[in-house]
Amino acid sequence: MAKVGVYVCHCGSNIGGVVDVESVREHAETLPDVTVSRQNLFMCSDPGQEIIRQDIKDGLVDKVVVAACTPRTHEPIFRKVLEGEGLNKFFFEMANIRDQDSWVHADDHNGATAKAKKIVDSAVAKARHLMPLEEKYVDVTQAALVIGGGVAGIFSALELANMGHKVYLVEKEPSIGGVMAQLDKTFPTNDCSACILTPVMVDAGTHPNIELLTYSEVDSVDGYIGNFDVKIRKKQSYIDWHKCTGCGDCAEACPVRTPNEYNASLDNRSAAYIHFPQAVPKKAVIDMDACINCGGRKIGSETRISKKTGKPILAPCERACPADAIDRSIPVDAEGDILDVKVGTIVVATGYKVMEKDTFKSLAPDSPNVLTALQLERLISATGPTGGKFLRPSDNEKPKTISFLSCVGSRDQKHHTYCSRVCCMYMIKQAKLLKEKYPDLNIYMHFMDVRTPGKDFDEYYTGALEMGIKIIRGRVGGIDTLPDDRLKVMAYDADLAQNIEIDADLVVLATAIELQDDIKPLAQKLSLTLDGSGFFKELHPKLKPVETAVEGVFLAGCCQGPKDIPDTVAQAKGAAAAAAVPLAQGRVKIDPAISEVNREKCSGCGICEPLCPYGAITMAEFEGGHKRAIIEMTQCKGCGVCTTACPSAAIELHGYSEDQIMAQIAALTL
Amino acid sequence: MAALNLSKMSQEEVIQAVIDHGGAGITKCIQCNACASVCPVAKAGFSLYGRLLFRKLQTGHYEEIIEDASSWACQACNRCTEICPRDARPFDIVFAFRRMQAEELAISTSAFTPLMSLHATGHAVTSEASKKLRQQVGLDSQPATSIEDEQAQKEIQTLLENGPMGELGIF
Repeated sequence: MAKVGVYVCHCGSNIGGVVDVESVREHAETLPDVTVSRQNLFMCSDPGQEIIRQDIKDGLVDKVVVAACTPRTHEPIFRKVLEGEGLNKFFFEMANIRDQDSWVHADDHNGATAKAKKIVDSAVAKARHLMPLEEKYVDVTQAALVIGGGVAGIFSALELANMGHKVYLVEKEPSIGGVMAQLDKTFPTNDCSACILTPVMVDAGTHPNIELLTYSEVDSVDGYIGNFDVKIRKKQSYIDWHKCTGCGDCAEACPVRTPNEYNASLDNRSAAYIHFPQAVPKKAVIDMDACINCGGRKIGSETRISKKTGKPILAPCERACPADAIDRSIPVDAEGDILDVKVGTIVVATGYKVMEKDTFKSLAPDSPNVLTALQLERLISATGPTGGKFLRPSDNEKPKTISFLSCVGSRDQKHHTYCSRVCCMYMIKQAKLLKEKYPDLNIYMHFMDVRTPGKDFDEYYTGALEMGIKIIRGRVGGIDTLPDDRLKVMAYDADLAQNIEIDADLVVLATAIELQDDIKPLAQKLSLTLDGSGFFKELHPKLKPVETAVEGVFLAGCCQGPKDIPDTVAQAKGAAAAAAVPLAQGRVKIDPAISEVNREKCSGCGICEPLCPYGAITMAEFEGGHKRAIIEMTQCKGCGVCTTACPSAAIELHGYSEDQIMAQIAALTL
Repeated sequence: MAALNLSKMSQEEVIQAVIDHGGAGITKCIQCNACASVCPVAKAGFSLYGRLLFRKLQTGHYEEIIEDASSWACQACNRCTEICPRDARPFDIVFAFRRMQAEELAISTSAFTPLMSLHATGHAVTSEASKKLRQQVGLDSQPATSIEDEQAQKEIQTLLENGPMGELGIF
């Protein structure tokens, strides 16, 4: 016979203000197997816990029901009480009479009290049938994977590596660096972006604990916290990176011209190219989508000998390479190579992209003089298409009047409802850099409102005002094209309460930050969910900002939401610290609330196998050729799908057994 | 009303003129409206006060507001200077604008009488009523200032006629 103790909590006025707690306590006393029934203002307080402790000590109670708030936050506290008194900690059941009762029926005291009694009935019914469960542990693979080699991924990788952990840093582009490597200067200090980033990139590239896997993508992820099996596809570079010295001769020899992603498509690059001058690693790749196979030198084709010269006919890139790193006669797999790695934890730092201007038809996207802010960033950068000279694209003349438009695609129901957070500041930065260099430049900036919530941010903004940069409150309605590729910005000045127009030589659009279109497959591979804004969803917006619903997978940087560089670095280091915890512990706990197959009952029908969303079930052959289902405990998440599907009722979900659930249903319905 | 083409306005010139006339804070204004909230000119129902005047000047509006009399209603109370979060010294900007108006002889009629009185007596405001009050408490009917001192008045007139105000040719 179980000895069930029921403890009803007031939760201050959260429950006590609605539910008649004393009446619920009295009712619990009448239930079968209930030996004590008590109430307290806060059961989770030290004195509250002490009541339970004492009853266990006195031998009055061996199963505990607390009727209070949610097990999500409070179950661990009460389980610890049981454990401390030598009881199996799973001899505990929580009746949620707050979230599921007093909060939703605040205006119906009698109804809420009656419902609280029912919820307690159900919890007590289950508690009478509780069985002891045991937590298991598995060892953790001592390595981490960081996906994304932007500033977030670099810092997460460095942090983990400096703690002594092996790190695989995967980046899809040929070089690490991400968007920060494309920026000219950074607000609010106007540090040169490359100057502060390059040393960190070099650190990551040379760290003994970091294995840099650039031009690579995650192909598949299996396993669970502590033991992830990851397949990484190293994309085919068509250049032997062991030999490549990064001299760039192949890029100069290559005759192809294709849009240069690094310069935001403002100019062209060759098919054989090095990502950017400070690339880490500084290795060339051949973009086979753009390559025209000069001289018929398709990859894997036999080398022909020229009849005239008697020398082999080679493509310009092959001829140019002084390191013999390019040999187009070698047949290589276009799909690249697959690398298997095992890691204990994963940090996702896949970054973002800015919206392209083409989306905004009313803002003259076809004009070459309408740029996204990232394009302007490249235009004023010393490594950009003009070598840092500020020239407008249509005629390479220096602009005299320039308009900045904020919130393009942000705070707009048609595109993204969120604020992209960094646009106000980077636009002010760009305006200040230009005004410093060209004091005669007329700069107009259109804002719905200027948002500068950061250290030294508002001072940075007011400094722009004093430099003579014109700040105008009001969202721009549209842009007309004028002769000579000039642009008429049609706007409103809320402070003047008047429609205004500006004839500009150049217009800059602060387009919204969003997740890359091709990120969804990765989200699926990792079982990550997206939030309402379309970014990766953290486990809790305040208390678990780097954790995800998938244990062992953490988030850093803009893939979790728009943020500036300081916030990104802070989150990257936070994610690394969180990801290091399982590695440092060396083993992870397996929740016992998982399913197990009763081999005697299993008929081997195999219905459960394809239903399992976690791939935890396999069919194994036993003596006499009998097939039986086996559940891998490290992969099972205890969802219960197999349990309900099994026609032989051969699968038990521990902690939610059939007799426990039937007892609960009976208590609620009889 | 047609849209105002800002790029065709001479904003830099107007801002520079305001600065040259003593309103250096014009580029600091962030249009927060704090000055307007305490301004007697705004409370009295005049149309062009504090931040709105500054916005007009920032955006190069000069010709169209030069004749506006609101600025002459400024009581020089300096509450705006105290409350401004940007230390833009709004009162200084209002007075800079007044100086610019005066140069264009765009002086409110309400300001002429005090100016002429200042030229004649050294006092912008004199009061007949105060003479009686002074006598009642045993004082001379006039204070011992320039008001009854011809020599002092001459000196004041010399100063005024040879300063920027003299150039206006109103005395």
